Amino acid sequence: MSLGGIPNLLVDIEVQRNGFNLRVALDVQSEVMVLFGPSGSGKSTTLQAIAGLITPRKGTIVFNGETLFQRGRAVPLVNAPARKRRIGYVFQDYALFPHLTALRNIAFPLWKRPGAGSRARELLEQMGLSGLGNSYPHELSGGQQQRVAIARALAAEPQVLLLDEPFSALDLETRRRVRGEVRKVLHETHIPVVLVTHDREEVLALGDRVAVIDQGHIVAHGAPLALLGHPPRERVARLTGMKNIIRLQVLGADPAEGILHCGRGEFLLEVPLSDVHAGQEVMVGFRADDVLLATTKPVGLSARNAIPGKVVSVQSIGTVYEVIMDCSGIYLMSHITRRAVEELGVKPQVGLWAVVKTASCFILHE
Amino acid sequence: MPGPILEPLRLSFQVMALATLLLFVFGLILGVLLARVKFPGHLAIETIILLPLVLPPSVVGYYLLVALGRGSPLKEWAGLDILFTWWAAALASALVGLPLMVLSTRAAVANINPALENAARTLGSSEPGVFFRVTLPLARRGVLAGLVLGAARALGEFGATLMVAGSIPGRTQTLPLAIYDAVQNRDYILANQMVLIMTGIAFVGLWWARRQEEVRKPGPRQQTQEEIE
Repeated sequence: MSLGGIPNLLVDIEVQRNGFNLRVALDVQSEVMVLFGPSGSGKSTTLQAIAGLITPRKGTIVFNGETLFQRGRAVPLVNAPARKRRIGYVFQDYALFPHLTALRNIAFPLWKRPGAGSRARELLEQMGLSGLGNSYPHELSGGQQQRVAIARALAAEPQVLLLDEPFSALDLETRRRVRGEVRKVLHETHIPVVLVTHDREEVLALGDRVAVIDQGHIVAHGAPLALLGHPPRERVARLTGMKNIIRLQVLGADPAEGILHCGRGEFLLEVPLSDVHAGQEVMVGFRADDVLLATTKPVGLSARNAIPGKVVSVQSIGTVYEVIMDCSGIYLMSHITRRAVEELGVKPQVGLWAVVKTASCFILHE
Repeated sequence: MPGPILEPLRLSFQVMALATLLLFVFGLILGVLLARVKFPGHLAIETIILLPLVLPPSVVGYYLLVALGRGSPLKEWAGLDILFTWWAAALASALVGLPLMVLSTRAAVANINPALENAARTLGSSEPGVFFRVTLPLARRGVLAGLVLGAARALGEFGATLMVAGSIPGRTQTLPLAIYDAVQNRDYILANQMVLIMTGIAFVGLWWARRQEEVRKPGPRQQTQEEIE
């Protein structure tokens, strides 16, 4: 009963595990759906339930009209075993069989089928692993292991592919390098893909859609760029890595200019016009990436917000530096490069100007 | 090799062969169950299986004697009349070797990352498929080490065997019993020879089992030429 031949996975489940309640509903077409959330939010549990490795307390899992799981009051129990669901699963640590070569790993689901060897070799080459077929998993690099794991899952010709933090076992450099390749492979499969991650970059690089999960519940979903760029609520903003979230009072609106004047004490900020009234308290958010730093008050610049402040701390976080500024008692966070730190002489107690575009700020609903 | 040694030696290997078979089947089942299924009272079951490690073999033999003797269900209903045959010797030996096999198998299976078995399931493997293609190959070294230790222990069995099979030359008199007999008869030359043979076999078995443990520990295992092909 496929609707117009478009693959479609419907998930609506409740899982109870170690006193933790998970309630997730997903509708995935032939696209990459990213489940994004902090660790412990229930992402992996959701994948395990879809794959049939754990049994939800109630709910349904339907693929193309075929019920894989169904449990609830007044309905007969359906619980297809994992092996019959045809759902591919790429585990976080890849779970390659250590006693089998790369080729035998890929051929595992093709056991006793005619042409298994040549099909496995074909997949091996497709993944750019030719020549590594006789290597054991421990002899392969992290990126190679990941590709063997994906090839092995695809060898079973799954109807749905699940990937649990597929890049977390890789170093930062490899992660960026292989992301493009994985994206290509995932889109070529033309099947519903659910990918779990807690990395914003991966959401933007790989996702067609994203669902933000927090404490066992999906708190937001939509297109990655829209959702991560303009999270609708404070909680979602925090989960998606928005570092500057401040409580301000609406001082007045300027509908002609399309802006709102907000502030607290001496701290003033212009934000895009929103449906709020003067005197109201609002949460305003903007990314640390969108905060520029300047040694003097900038002139001839389109950005409308220039806020004087003092550097509190400078700290390296991976590829960028995180600078915390004290602006009239309000702490702002800015991400700048190492070169910028050197050229501006950024160190604690130095006075600087924080510059934020009005369009980078937005009001969050609590 | 003179007849007084050859006959007990042959009988010893015959008893060990059957005991090893019993060890493999029951030890494997029990080891896997104890590693994977947490049922109420599993600790009690485990302790009972391990008892032969600390009980005097005569006690184990006595239990067997009662279980197989006149009036026992095994004899009267199942028609299992094996007392004072080499079959009884094999059963006694297997029982005494069982703890070693179960302990080793359980540890090897418990060590396997459950994600590997789950991966096999998502790849379409049935439960027997998961066991024979993933669990057993990965636990292979531990299972083999346990089997060899258990078999070596079975080969050296004395007390329990004496209780249920006696020491009938040519029928149930295995090497350990023949040694006792030789010493009783003050035939020290014969005893020396048999003692050396026993020690040699035990040493090789233990050494091999220890070696399996050594190889197992440092992670990646060695591959053989056959596997590379």
